[in-house]
Amino acid sequence: MSGEALVSVSGLTVHFPVRGSRETVKAVDGVDFTVAAGTTFGVIGESGSGKSTLGRALVCLQYPTAGRILHAGRDPFSLPGAALRRHRRDYQIIFQDPGAALNPRMTILDSVREPLDIARAGSARERAQQARAMLDRVGIGGMMHDRFPHELSGGQKQRVNIARALTVRPRLIVCDEVVAALDVSIQADILNLFADLQQDFGLTYVFITHDLAVVTHVSDMIAVMYLGRFVEIGPAETIHGNPTHPYTMALLSAEPEPLPRAMRSDRRIMLRGEIPSPIAPPSGCRFRTRCPYAEPICAAAEPPWRETTPGRFAACHFAGTGTHATLSEHEILAS
Amino acid sequence: MMPEQINGNEPLLRVSGLNVHFGIGAAAVRAIADVGFTVRKGERVGIVGESGCGKTVTGLALMGLLPRHTTHVTGQMLMDGRNLLELGPRAMQRVRGRQIAMIFQEPMNALDPVFTIGEQISETLRAHFRIGRAEARDRAVAALEAVGIPLPARRYSEYPHQLSGGMRQRAMIAIALACEPRLLIADEPTTALDVTIQAQIIDLLLELSSRTETALLFITHDLGVVASACTRLLTMYAGEIVEDADVDAALVAPRHPYTSGLLRSLPRLTPRKSRLPSIAGQVPSPAEMPEGCRFAPRCAHRGPLCANPVPLIDLGDRRVRCARHAELTLPGCAERRLA
Repeated sequence: MSGEALVSVSGLTVHFPVRGSRETVKAVDGVDFTVAAGTTFGVIGESGSGKSTLGRALVCLQYPTAGRILHAGRDPFSLPGAALRRHRRDYQIIFQDPGAALNPRMTILDSVREPLDIARAGSARERAQQARAMLDRVGIGGMMHDRFPHELSGGQKQRVNIARALTVRPRLIVCDEVVAALDVSIQADILNLFADLQQDFGLTYVFITHDLAVVTHVSDMIAVMYLGRFVEIGPAETIHGNPTHPYTMALLSAEPEPLPRAMRSDRRIMLRGEIPSPIAPPSGCRFRTRCPYAEPICAAAEPPWRETTPGRFAACHFAGTGTHATLSEHEILAS
Repeated sequence: MMPEQINGNEPLLRVSGLNVHFGIGAAAVRAIADVGFTVRKGERVGIVGESGCGKTVTGLALMGLLPRHTTHVTGQMLMDGRNLLELGPRAMQRVRGRQIAMIFQEPMNALDPVFTIGEQISETLRAHFRIGRAEARDRAVAALEAVGIPLPARRYSEYPHQLSGGMRQRAMIAIALACEPRLLIADEPTTALDVTIQAQIIDLLLELSSRTETALLFITHDLGVVASACTRLLTMYAGEIVEDADVDAALVAPRHPYTSGLLRSLPRLTPRKSRLPSIAGQVPSPAEMPEGCRFAPRCAHRGPLCANPVPLIDLGDRRVRCARHAELTLPGCAERRLA
């Protein structure tokens, strides 16, 4: 399953200037990870955590302020214009709003064919044929190929977007909240389709979402993002089954479970307040302002990465020391 | 104002035979078909279903907010022995906000951008109570405080764009609850929010509802939200109620294939990386409704009986609209993944 690293990121930083001020929005602020070829890497975080900016940087839609992204060992940002455009075909992105991503004045067949036209791949006839084959593959039948986006449902439009990303045969697809706007049953269909396509085309996914259940279901590795940084990273089953960073614990416990009262875990870590401004993130540990376990050291020093279980790392002064577990028990007793 | 005929057993709200038609004359389509349910005082009812099943239209009909010229609403919505559908616009205005209030998914669209948060609460208060500006202001600040907004006196004079999404939804709840309505309709109130903020808002709604005995009608597509916030589940499909049951009972053993299907398509109830059991097809549009059971074309359990229209069958502890309910054993959340 896991091959060599298709994407490797080190010290990635993306800052945006604030108009009329010298300050910057630190959207992504020092992130390191690798994505093995053929696997799914999940990124989870709240709005404002920088996960979408990270996704855009991965497919060269956003220049990093600092740090490096390597695509199969090559730095795409060092490529000259034409070579970069050619290179980008291998690294595609699909967005949340399936309607906004399609041109309302083009038939869906034309939309799916357009990337091939730009790539000048084969004759016009072949390109149309390829586009039709790809639409069929994602479950959009021939009778719908000449329709316009407004004639399709949300799930169908998202299938068209998937087909369009696939026509140029990419190696990596960044999926940015691709099922967030869909009904649960349609969401299940689309997630199944992603799994099938990964098998058929040997795709690598970076799956960005705020939905823990979705990210756990599809991912091999999960990174939890907070205010521009990763706070925990590791294999999906360990992150979901046994979180060691207090933020991951809080996310998991906030997720409403579709279970009767008797089957739900009553361990709740309620976070106070909201995510702070990325213009001036808190000193030391960025999560400390909302963390129920914060100590003076959390404001003074940035937490180092600790390997809390084999292959899984948490950036917390107390992760894996048992402090959180003890405190949680106190909370249960208190409540 | 209130008639004295309320007896102890009469529910707060009794909806029966509710029909909503969109359009006029031959072009009219029926979006809501014969919907009936009750809400007791302080009860928390969740309405679930996919988009296009009529959840929001039901909420808007209760509020009398559907456009009068292009929709036709018939049936009964009894509150205090009065049929809300027979009230004129002025009388309905006194019910709206005072007896029934509603909050929406996107608070930015529901709040007026050119008035401060406080002014919008005061306005509501002064529309329903004979009070002066100073008292309205005091009560508005108290309402902001009650929904957990820090520095309520300062927030009073801030505009909606100065608040975060979670704070805006709290402000929306403050407006809705300022006049202490007896029923709050919450239409996807947490869908646009992050999970940690969603948990805060749900906790807030539960706390306010139990403190003031306000009944909640929670419209959502998220069965997790219903499980944690509600005591009763109404499943809607294609404009009809297909199941009405106690939440916990419905989650463990749903009796309608649609409820079961919605539950089973949730990723958190299946093993990681396995295929998700989805519901094939999509909700039919009101113009092309199937003759018999409306869910039959998408149902894995359909049989010959399903070609006929199915009534909502009363089973005592729940109601279900399925001709095969007695012979089917449908999977619920008990078949969840083992963590």
